[in-house]
Amino acid sequence: MSNSRKVVKLFYDVISPYSWLAFEVLCRYRNVWNIDLKFKPALLGGVFRGSGNQEPRFVQNKFSYLIADLKQMSEFFGVPLNPYLPGEKGTLNVMRFVTAVAEKEKERGVLVERVSRELWKNIWSTHRGVTHPALLTEAGLRAGLSASEVEELLILSKSQQIKDKLKSVTQEALDYQSFGLPLIVCHVNGKAEVFFGSDRFELMAHRIGEKWVGPHPVKT
Amino acid sequence: MASSRKMVEFFYDIVSPYSWMAFEVLCRYKNVWNIDLKFKPAYLGGVMHGSGNRPPGMVPNKFHYMTKDLERVSGYFGVPLYPPSDVFEAMFEKGTLNAMRFVTAVAEKEKEGDVLVERVSRELWKRIWSTDQDVTQPASLTEAGLKAGLSASELEEILTLSKSQPIKDKLKSVTQEALDYQCFGFPFTVCHVNGKAELFFGSDRFELMAHCIGEKWVGPHPDKPTSKM
Repeated sequence: MSNSRKVVKLFYDVISPYSWLAFEVLCRYRNVWNIDLKFKPALLGGVFRGSGNQEPRFVQNKFSYLIADLKQMSEFFGVPLNPYLPGEKGTLNVMRFVTAVAEKEKERGVLVERVSRELWKNIWSTHRGVTHPALLTEAGLRAGLSASEVEELLILSKSQQIKDKLKSVTQEALDYQSFGLPLIVCHVNGKAEVFFGSDRFELMAHRIGEKWVGPHPVKT
Repeated sequence: MASSRKMVEFFYDIVSPYSWMAFEVLCRYKNVWNIDLKFKPAYLGGVMHGSGNRPPGMVPNKFHYMTKDLERVSGYFGVPLYPPSDVFEAMFEKGTLNAMRFVTAVAEKEKEGDVLVERVSRELWKRIWSTDQDVTQPASLTEAGLKAGLSASELEEILTLSKSQPIKDKLKSVTQEALDYQCFGFPFTVCHVNGKAELFFGSDRFELMAHCIGEKWVGPHPDKPTSKM
């Protein structure tokens, strides 16, 4: 007898470091918890604008706290994140690219996972950035796409269909009254449980009837 | 052989609901972890002002999220939290300056230990965040103090003391201590370990905190562990 899997939606933007932590943890738990993990690439800037919230880095004390906190959290979670102040002005083109990857592979999620990870590494691990199209291509190739697939996706990412799709996924997050990312929406017993951040996994497990055993459910 | 206890400073204001969560958890762990828990009653309004931050409730989506989040966090942590009927009035219009001066006075009077500070803080949290009662008037503070086990004459003394310049200055200086750690909100927990100060904001960092101070987090009820991690 198998319970139907609980749908868990992860709304994220690769400019968001805590989104990377949440992403890696959920990827590890995807085959441990009885969940159906759905990636929802969205635009953090759009969430800030739509909710009237402000980026945390504009409060000096928050910024210094975040840098120290991210060092601790990334070490604890085992994610190679090196905190700093990214030069990226915004990730509109990048998240349109990720949206295009998601659209092309329909529901599978394998490529969107790999591409997102490579983009996070570029921004938050190696600090190579993603603003230059060549850096997007580089991340795509590392994720296992061919050069022609990358070219196709770059073109698709500029289409109205993809622009609208990113807008609508961002609006979905706002409809859940998001004010930042990552936003994790767990559908359980006909209700949507909404969790902000990468520090609610213990509570989330409790609410969806699963067990949290720390950031490494499978010791390698 | 006992290793020296790690000092853990807990900065809080009773206006802050998440501070109540963190407070109860730390009280439960104070004899489980090898820590020396020090209560640091401070003024959240002063921290907001000094850091240029603004209360999260001012962003509508944050306010909505926090209302739902507090319900499930308080349920999980086993703390009887029920928001007051007018949250904005309780938190922002009325505020907690008198209340935190009162707690500061209790702390000053209590030379040995912090049992009274703990009890008084809890009674004040219950008033604002459980039974929707006032925490600004002397009669309200007296009622909380009596419930915490202080006598009527002790309370009269403490109320007078709470209006004195030394107590006003003390609250200011503890608030400044938090700002010196680059605090931007409460609860703010500072763990002193290996000569370093490790900072934790909020009531959702206990697993990480335990890891940083070489202890074990077994969930919100250490007497009934939910997990062995």
